Amino acid sequence: MTSSFTRLLVMVQKELLELVRSLKLLWVPLVFVLLGVMQPASMYYMPLILEKAGNITEGAVIEIPQPLGSEVLAQTLQQFGTLGLLVLVLVGMSSVSGERNSGAASLILVKPIAVFSFTASKWTALLLLAWGSLSAGYLASWYYTGLLFGDVQASKVLGSLLVFGLWLSFAMTLTLFFSTLLRSSAAAAFSTLGTAAALSLLAGLLPKKLGWLPGSLSSFAYQTAVSDIANVSLFGWALACTFTLMAAALTGASWLLRRSSAID
Amino acid sequence: MYDNFDFGQILPIIAPILTIQLVLVIIALVMCIKAEQTRGPKWMWVLIILFVNLIGPITFFIFGRRNER
Amino acid sequence: MTTLLEVKGLTKTFGAVQAVGGIDFSIHVGRCVALLGPNGAGKTTTIRMIAGLLSQTAGTMRFHGFVKGDYGKGKVHIGYLPQSPSFYNWMSGLEYAVYAGRLCGLPAGTALKRAKELLERVGLSGAAKRRIGSYSGGMKQRLGLAQALVHSPKLLIMDEPVSALDPIGRREVLGLLQELKEETTVLFSTHALHDAEELCDDVIIIRKGQIALQGNIAAIRNEHRKPIIELQLEQDEVSIKWFTDYKDRLSRWSDEAQEASFIQNIEQQGAAVRFTVREVDSARQHLLEVLTREKVKVSRLEIGHTSLEDLFMKVVAP
Repeated sequence: MTSSFTRLLVMVQKELLELVRSLKLLWVPLVFVLLGVMQPASMYYMPLILEKAGNITEGAVIEIPQPLGSEVLAQTLQQFGTLGLLVLVLVGMSSVSGERNSGAASLILVKPIAVFSFTASKWTALLLLAWGSLSAGYLASWYYTGLLFGDVQASKVLGSLLVFGLWLSFAMTLTLFFSTLLRSSAAAAFSTLGTAAALSLLAGLLPKKLGWLPGSLSSFAYQTAVSDIANVSLFGWALACTFTLMAAALTGASWLLRRSSAID
Repeated sequence: MYDNFDFGQILPIIAPILTIQLVLVIIALVMCIKAEQTRGPKWMWVLIILFVNLIGPITFFIFGRRNER
Repeated sequence: MTTLLEVKGLTKTFGAVQAVGGIDFSIHVGRCVALLGPNGAGKTTTIRMIAGLLSQTAGTMRFHGFVKGDYGKGKVHIGYLPQSPSFYNWMSGLEYAVYAGRLCGLPAGTALKRAKELLERVGLSGAAKRRIGSYSGGMKQRLGLAQALVHSPKLLIMDEPVSALDPIGRREVLGLLQELKEETTVLFSTHALHDAEELCDDVIIIRKGQIALQGNIAAIRNEHRKPIIELQLEQDEVSIKWFTDYKDRLSRWSDEAQEASFIQNIEQQGAAVRFTVREVDSARQHLLEVLTREKVKVSRLEIGHTSLEDLFMKVVAP
């Protein structure tokens, strides 16, 4: 095992310890579980709530077709894509800029370590948090959906989980990049959410032309949950594009940090 | 389907939701009370955590603490 | 003596501002060197370049055989303490020191052993398991020393190590440095001559990004030591007039004038007048004669020597 790899592991360990000590590894997954449980529950009771809340005249019958379990799961993913993403980005927004502003980063970067290890350790922690939260929330949602609406195939759940996890990973990489580029956490969060929204919007408006953007990953995830991915080659391009952009953002963040680490 | 609706039926579904919310509130409260410094007055955060459902604890987790690094 | 660090033409410009303008110096193994200068002289910038946190605009550095391209590899042998270090407040002092050791390539067991030794050394054993967030300024500075020394570096670099501390914290850290400089080569920046005199063998005085004076501190003291005669005059008309005339005449002196052979310089500080002299006896004789003749009211006459402080003030004066 090379020494630089050992140092990377040590830094990852430190990031994980921070996730545990700050209780982020507890409350973020809990929020995802809550979102995941509330979606099927509220869809199940929606007709009832409408009936109780609205003063509907006697005899009027509300016809709301009961959704399929897979549709409920797709809706859950949508919740994760909005509220869940918001929480994850806000949690990660100061991962680099916070340490740079406080000066803690310069005390670490002066050590004989590769700047890339610093970036990579933060990235690993953010991804771990995202995947852990998503898995916990999605599994809870699957269980509830199974109880209330009927079973959904495990393969569909796993497939959509992987695709959607990739979308979240991409968003976390963006967060890390902007957190390195910008000194203000708020600006980093804003830029990340703006970029993610723009990518989703573009991919949603012109799915044929721009479906290869990472922004289309969430809709590919919904497709995986409900049926199957319609355009496999486009999905392949989207995967390639996402991985390339993530690698570029990571490298870019390390480069930025190496150039500017001293201006604290 | 909803005709014989009663709370005994709804409870097993609602209970976990309420429990998780309660857990979040408790974690946030403990952190808030133990924190050396909060952004803004502590009592304000306690009120927000207690009375703003779900969003309250989350806002505290993200913005409430200062000087944690 | 072996050279540990050799700096040549080191320059740093930030936009149009030149913070450090081509400085040369070298540090020998085992020496304690102070980088002395007023605020804004370019001390921190120089220190950060040597620590490898900032890349130079021009110039070369050779540290322990490492030059430009692989200067980064030399980092293993450098310990660095910034002016006010920040750590991770959620970690304990011991955890941080171990972490620092592991980042410097120590195996886990060695890192723990060294971290414990050093915390003991800097007097933090009792607080080792406490959160850094609860440490005082002096404790943080001492933890900073421990984490900088955990991998036994060949060169310890510190930026204003005592400036931000209160008198007690300052004493603690100065005492520690007094011991540590016996074990490793030390370079630190300071704006206080007093700190440099107390700790160092060598001093590099910089001013506006240039080296104003450097060398062994004792040698500098002897070399620049000049006898002075200080007069305290009463503020009556006769005395003031005499002094004004005398100073006026002095400024017009040519080298052939008789007084110029023993008086070198004259300066006024309030009611006190200070003559820097070449030769004490003749100058004293001359002055006493003149003072009696002119009926000047002298309240005090004192013979002494210029201090390092005088030299420092002269060298860094704007």
